Amino acid sequence: MAVYMVSQAQAKQLRPKMTAGLILVAGIIVVMLGQLVLNMILTQDAYHLRSLKLEKRDLTTQVQILQEEVDSLSSPQNLADAANRLGMVANPASVLLDIKKDKVFGKPKPASAANAAVASANLVANAAMGTVSEFSEATVASAEVAESVETEKPAASGLVLEQGLIPASPTR
Amino acid sequence: MGSQRALSRRLGVFALILVVMVLGLGIRLVDYQVVRAEQIREESFKSRSITQTLPALRGQIRDASGQVLARTVFRYDVNAAPKNVGSIFKTIDGVKTERTVEQIVLELAPLVGLTPEELTARLAGDSEYSNLAKKVDAETFNAIRELGIPWIYFDPFADRLYPNGAVAGNVLGFVGADGTPLAGLERQYNTCLAGVDGQETFERSAEGVRIPTSNVTTQPTQNGGTLNLSIDANLQFFAQQVLADTVNDLGAQWASAVVVEVETGRLLAAAEAPSVDPNDPAASDAANRGSKIFQAAFEPGSIMKALTSAMVLDTKTADAFDKVKAPDYMKLDFAGGWIKDSFGHEPYNLTLGGVLRFSSNTGMSNFGVKIDKETRYNYLQKFGFGSVSPLRFEGESSGILHDYKDWDKMTNYATTYGQGISVTGIQMAYAYQAMANDGVRLDPILVENCVADDGTVLYQPKQNATRVISKETANLNLNLMEKVVEFGGVGQNAAIDGYRVAGKTGTAQIKDGSGYGSQFAISFYGIAPAENPKFVVGVTIYKAIGVSNSLQATFPFKAIMQQALKSYRVPPSTTKSPDLPSGKYGEVEPRN
Repeated sequence: MAVYMVSQAQAKQLRPKMTAGLILVAGIIVVMLGQLVLNMILTQDAYHLRSLKLEKRDLTTQVQILQEEVDSLSSPQNLADAANRLGMVANPASVLLDIKKDKVFGKPKPASAANAAVASANLVANAAMGTVSEFSEATVASAEVAESVETEKPAASGLVLEQGLIPASPTR
Repeated sequence: MGSQRALSRRLGVFALILVVMVLGLGIRLVDYQVVRAEQIREESFKSRSITQTLPALRGQIRDASGQVLARTVFRYDVNAAPKNVGSIFKTIDGVKTERTVEQIVLELAPLVGLTPEELTARLAGDSEYSNLAKKVDAETFNAIRELGIPWIYFDPFADRLYPNGAVAGNVLGFVGADGTPLAGLERQYNTCLAGVDGQETFERSAEGVRIPTSNVTTQPTQNGGTLNLSIDANLQFFAQQVLADTVNDLGAQWASAVVVEVETGRLLAAAEAPSVDPNDPAASDAANRGSKIFQAAFEPGSIMKALTSAMVLDTKTADAFDKVKAPDYMKLDFAGGWIKDSFGHEPYNLTLGGVLRFSSNTGMSNFGVKIDKETRYNYLQKFGFGSVSPLRFEGESSGILHDYKDWDKMTNYATTYGQGISVTGIQMAYAYQAMANDGVRLDPILVENCVADDGTVLYQPKQNATRVISKETANLNLNLMEKVVEFGGVGQNAAIDGYRVAGKTGTAQIKDGSGYGSQFAISFYGIAPAENPKFVVGVTIYKAIGVSNSLQATFPFKAIMQQALKSYRVPPSTTKSPDLPSGKYGEVEPRN
């Protein structure tokens, strides 16, 4: 190791600069702070991600519950039973209207339970049917009363089509 | 300077020791870092990495309009750790509340379907595991989770749900408790439905926490494809309703109905009663868990006459005006051989139309045997008999069509009116489809395709067309079959207001040991509208109690055909069938 003799002035000159030290320390602090912030954001995001994942799981379960409910309500078994409870009878006689040729195909016949081709109530097993339609003749009747106030007035004339008018029925 | 020397010697020894130690470390370092590096890295990775299987979800099965017939849902097994069972403490707004085990049991018991006593018994002890409920649905799962019980845990697993129950259950098949497909399309198309399980590897820290960004998917999960069927679930349901009604009324063993779209060969309905509910296959007898339409072969009886008549016309053996003798009883040209009609009558002189309309066995054999055996056998093969359909349904029967060389003298006659041969419902329906489709038989379509999540078509059947008879023969034969519905004693019941219907009744005896028993397979197979065929509907009722004619088969036929015509908006016929002879003496019968 070598030792040198220097003057006071030279020593002052050789002393490390205060500003440089400050810049260095400040730089280190800034970098560390930056890292801290980044870390915090990352951690925060990790928590956010976790809560979103949980939410997604809950929503997926919710979708499944609703899907199963819809499946059950829309199954033909439920529809047949519900229609039967409302006293509906399938009408096998098909009547088709040909608007262009102004023609009616088939003879309209009222449906009657005695002539129905098939039992109205469901006969086909379905163990998956959970939720079923709750309405009955009584509930539907009361719903109609409530709605009747707002019932729209039927249009005065027949529909205008490219081929002309469908004759409006005299009885409404 | 003795001490100086001693010092430097000591220094020298120290340096030597240092060098040796550094060398030793260096060798070790090279050994670890270079020589055994790979092995050590692997060991370390193994100890902190975990491989997890990501199960693929089984695909859906849908009907022609996209209605879901089978889907995958999650079910949950509810378990508890009795060891940890205890009160739950909660601090709300500084107030500590306690929920005792008794209170929790009362809340939990109805959700897991146990009585409070049973539940308490299952929570007793200090084991780590006690099952409380199996296979609960998502709603129950949510309700239990909301109770916030720390010692309850769930095992979720994928399960199969058939939202429409037994609708098409016979063809869908079902899966076992462990998800293995056991029958029907579920099994046949398992490769496409099952998908491929994925695998992922990630690293975890000493505390078992997953190290972020360490996921490596070694095998991506490929969910199962969607199987799209040609079945129309609404029509299928309707047909099943009709058949369930019929089977109940007649005390029949089973009944089946097939609806075929003539122009495309698509199977719109393959209905049966009884029919399995795939949600609960155990509720059905083992014999009723498959599909009779594909798996049960029966002697068709008189519905075969419409096909023999087509052969007679196609070979130009006779035309619609040629007549044969048709007594009610006829001795054959070999000892002990005789044929009789199903009802007693004076000797008729019947045209082909008359033979069909009166369903005369004697008349039909007199026409039929004019064609040699080999030709008839070839026609039967071309109509699709004697081999399984291209659908290759699980356990499908080919029926029995013996080689013509093995036909004995009786079989030679009997095959003309549908005895001595056995067929499946699907074979007969497509033989009629050929007649309805200008003589061209199309391969049946039941599965339209199987499509992956990303829209790639994984499977699509190829459809072949076979010309069986000429267009002229096919159309003329349909006109003759219309006479069955216009004038036939039983056939008239199959008439549908506004539509021209061609069809044939069948009352086949069922082999019982070596002879024929007193029970029948009754059928009605028909086509409508006859002038522009859209649908074939074939109904068979097996072993109805005390039923010896086909009248009862006409009602379900009519109901199902009418429903098909109605739901597919087929306009009623505007023409009348041509006047062709079908009377007792070959005359044209007057219409009402």
